[in-house]
Amino acid sequence: MILLKKRAPRIREKRIDTLNAWIGPADSAVREFAGQEVVQRIRTFSQSSNDDLLHALNILCRIEKSATVIHSPRGCAVAALYHKVAQGRGNWIVTNLDQKDTIMGADRKLRKAVTTAYRTYDPEVIFILSSPVAAINNDDIQAVVDELREELELPVIPVFVTGFASRNALTGYDIALHSIFRQLAGGRESGGRNGRVNLFSVAEHRSDLQEVTRLLTALGLELNVLPDNASIWTFVEATEARFSISLNHDADNYLGTVLREEYDVPYLEIERPLGLEATGRWLLDVGKAAGVGQAAAELHRQESVRVRRELGDFTLSGIRVYLSLSPSTALQVAKLVEESGGEIAGITVPHLDVLHIAQLKLLASRHPLLQVHIADGQPFEELNILRRFAPDLYIGDGAHTGQVARLGFPVVSLEQTRILAYNGTLNLVQRISVALKNRSFGERLASVTLPYKESWLQRSPNWHIKKEVK
Amino acid sequence: MTYHIDGSRNSCALHGALQLIEAIEGAVPVIHSNTGCGMQHYLGVNRLGPGTDSSGGPPVSSSNIGEKHIVFGGSSRLREQLKNTIKVVEGELYFIVSGCSTEMVGDDIPAMAKEGLEQRFPIVYANTPGFRGAVHQGYELAVRALIEQLPALSGGRQKPTDNLVNIWGIIPRQDPFWAGNLEEIGRLLEGIGLSPNLLIGYGQGPDNWRYVPEAVLNISVSVWGEAPARLLEERYGTPSVLLDGLPVGSAAGRLLNAVSDRLGLDTDRTERFVAAEETRLGRQLAGFADIYYRAGFQREFALVAESAQVVGIGEFLGRTLGLLPRTLIITDNPPEESMGAIRERLSGLVDGWKAEVFFSEDHAEIQDIVFSGGAEVVLGSALEAKVADSLGVPFLPVSFPLADRVVIHRGYAGYRGATALLEDIGSAMLSRSFT
Repeated sequence: MILLKKRAPRIREKRIDTLNAWIGPADSAVREFAGQEVVQRIRTFSQSSNDDLLHALNILCRIEKSATVIHSPRGCAVAALYHKVAQGRGNWIVTNLDQKDTIMGADRKLRKAVTTAYRTYDPEVIFILSSPVAAINNDDIQAVVDELREELELPVIPVFVTGFASRNALTGYDIALHSIFRQLAGGRESGGRNGRVNLFSVAEHRSDLQEVTRLLTALGLELNVLPDNASIWTFVEATEARFSISLNHDADNYLGTVLREEYDVPYLEIERPLGLEATGRWLLDVGKAAGVGQAAAELHRQESVRVRRELGDFTLSGIRVYLSLSPSTALQVAKLVEESGGEIAGITVPHLDVLHIAQLKLLASRHPLLQVHIADGQPFEELNILRRFAPDLYIGDGAHTGQVARLGFPVVSLEQTRILAYNGTLNLVQRISVALKNRSFGERLASVTLPYKESWLQRSPNWHIKKEVK
Repeated sequence: MTYHIDGSRNSCALHGALQLIEAIEGAVPVIHSNTGCGMQHYLGVNRLGPGTDSSGGPPVSSSNIGEKHIVFGGSSRLREQLKNTIKVVEGELYFIVSGCSTEMVGDDIPAMAKEGLEQRFPIVYANTPGFRGAVHQGYELAVRALIEQLPALSGGRQKPTDNLVNIWGIIPRQDPFWAGNLEEIGRLLEGIGLSPNLLIGYGQGPDNWRYVPEAVLNISVSVWGEAPARLLEERYGTPSVLLDGLPVGSAAGRLLNAVSDRLGLDTDRTERFVAAEETRLGRQLAGFADIYYRAGFQREFALVAESAQVVGIGEFLGRTLGLLPRTLIITDNPPEESMGAIRERLSGLVDGWKAEVFFSEDHAEIQDIVFSGGAEVVLGSALEAKVADSLGVPFLPVSFPLADRVVIHRGYAGYRGATALLEDIGSAMLSRSFT
């Protein structure tokens, strides 16, 4: 239990050298990671973006039969309102901390909120999500947890996010998953293997998960899907699985690492199944690990025939595409674009870390001078870059696509679009085709002013990125 | 003392201030807080009232303080962020709003604003940590900051506009129909010869806020506009007309008459204008009557919304459209001193019939109340869709948060709003097989 000893995992910057701000050519990006320690950068001007609280919440609200108590003032819970209303997920209560609570602490209020959640939702597990206020105030959440776990006879799991300890929001996934294993899985007493295979699905699109499940079930695999739609017991079962399959190693890296290091569950760290080629490799790797390599090859052959037929004469020949996507998605979409005859104009990713070195090297060997921009959100930099590059198409998954679209070129948002495996690839291609065939909406938006000053857009986009002084 | 809330629909003071600032053209919010505060606002407020996004993304300036600033203070980070915001983001007015963390560690926000002012930058500020209250308090804090700090900024008052009337109390997005409601109220005031100062929405910028002291009257259309109206009365002696809720249908005519009397306007003109609006609405109702009777529109309804909407929409449904208010739930925690009057007014909405009036923002409690009260049609936020479904009755989303409805220009205030409401509730009742 080395990894799970502390109440929260090490932040990604320390654990895997995550870089959150940077601009430069791909070959320099490779060099950034070549030294002993990555030099962190900060911004002297910044814009709102994700934090660990938001990402932790995004996982917790997907756990079946759970309730979450958000220990914070009201505002830290509105993302949960979004999940509840727009996505139909999650039961939650906010402790609604006020000024007095920030001075006196609010243990009693937390206790009441947890017992109310217990009575209202009859859950199998209750999460207590910390917040900046609770973290600064150092509220004794653990004492409340210890007391109520006995009283209510169910797992009460504290999730110690802070909103400021890490600049990488994915740390929130790590903290949430860490907390669940720390409380639930216990030691290695059972140690047995249950014949199932873990499929990691961290905040994936529902249809993507369906598509991947369809393929794996066709191979005869018995799946243990987590954390999306998992019950709390799925996590216990996960510790006894044959092996784990990655869908997106940016998101599931820590999950896979914990299960591998602490429970000896092998972690199949494979590239995201996106695009025909990568999906084939992904399926074959899974097939091999499961001992059904031949069936996997046959399934890929059948699906490929179908997908190729449906793709018809789709081509991106002559199209320069800018990508603003999470790294494991970006690197795969880049391949898809190039396989389809298109050209990559540049890439923005929310972060890069040691997990991407191999892929980054491949990219740099093909395009050493391709500009890589690291920014979670920060559309002021992206718009600056995009105005110079003037791509023919923009594919993004951030919350600011509506702003980018004011530059006038076609935009495809992957934020709520299925993109994985065969049917996802077909859907992605359809979205791209439609965007390129009718550009009228973007062209109309181009007459709306941008939020930024012309003098900024003329400046070098890395103007506000500085080396951190320790 | 505050209590925990299940599925709260009222976000925090910081977000309330942002809601106001984002609705003022040319005003740029500068958030001094954690990275996620603005994103929470974007996801949990902006995206749940889809259709009127000002910048096309999350807030454009946020200091995103880290651990270092929590430990050593973040004032210098704010100084840097403010200076660079002015260089990067186009704007006429930069509005610093603080979050919980920076207030807890004691960053001196006024001092940073003062520094900027000394360099002649147009800056105002408000201390808006989330723990100070809900969106409603955030709206009040931001409005107060503008009223108090703008005069020092503008380099002298603008030239007075004749018959200018300020409108207060509509909180952008918390009323999903804010833009349409304001425009309609403006149209009606213009109809009787006044110049409405809407202050937020399309074409409304810092200059409109500079005219505020020149107004001849302040109109508040919710309890949340009372504080600004009082403040202006104190400072400039401007009289005010205070309403508990949006004027929907004939209530708008009554407002116009009251304002007209108050300001000594041409009563003939006002009466002619109101009569024309009434005739138009009457014709529309008559044209709608066939469906109304055929489909059995006279039903008992439950309405879950902010006080201004419950008063406005509830009154129109009860007093003009002939529906019976079964359960009315007010979700915005009006100040205690107004609760009694609102309750009394609403429970007696229809003569000889007592409506049940509740004040709650707790989703679990609201569901229970609506379900146990029963209703033949439910109006509320997207959170109430489920209970309408459980009751097996039509549902019309009218309050925050919205999920599957896009609102850009639509409003339910005034005469045009009454027509829109008629269309929407009619469509809800006719949809599927509820008839």
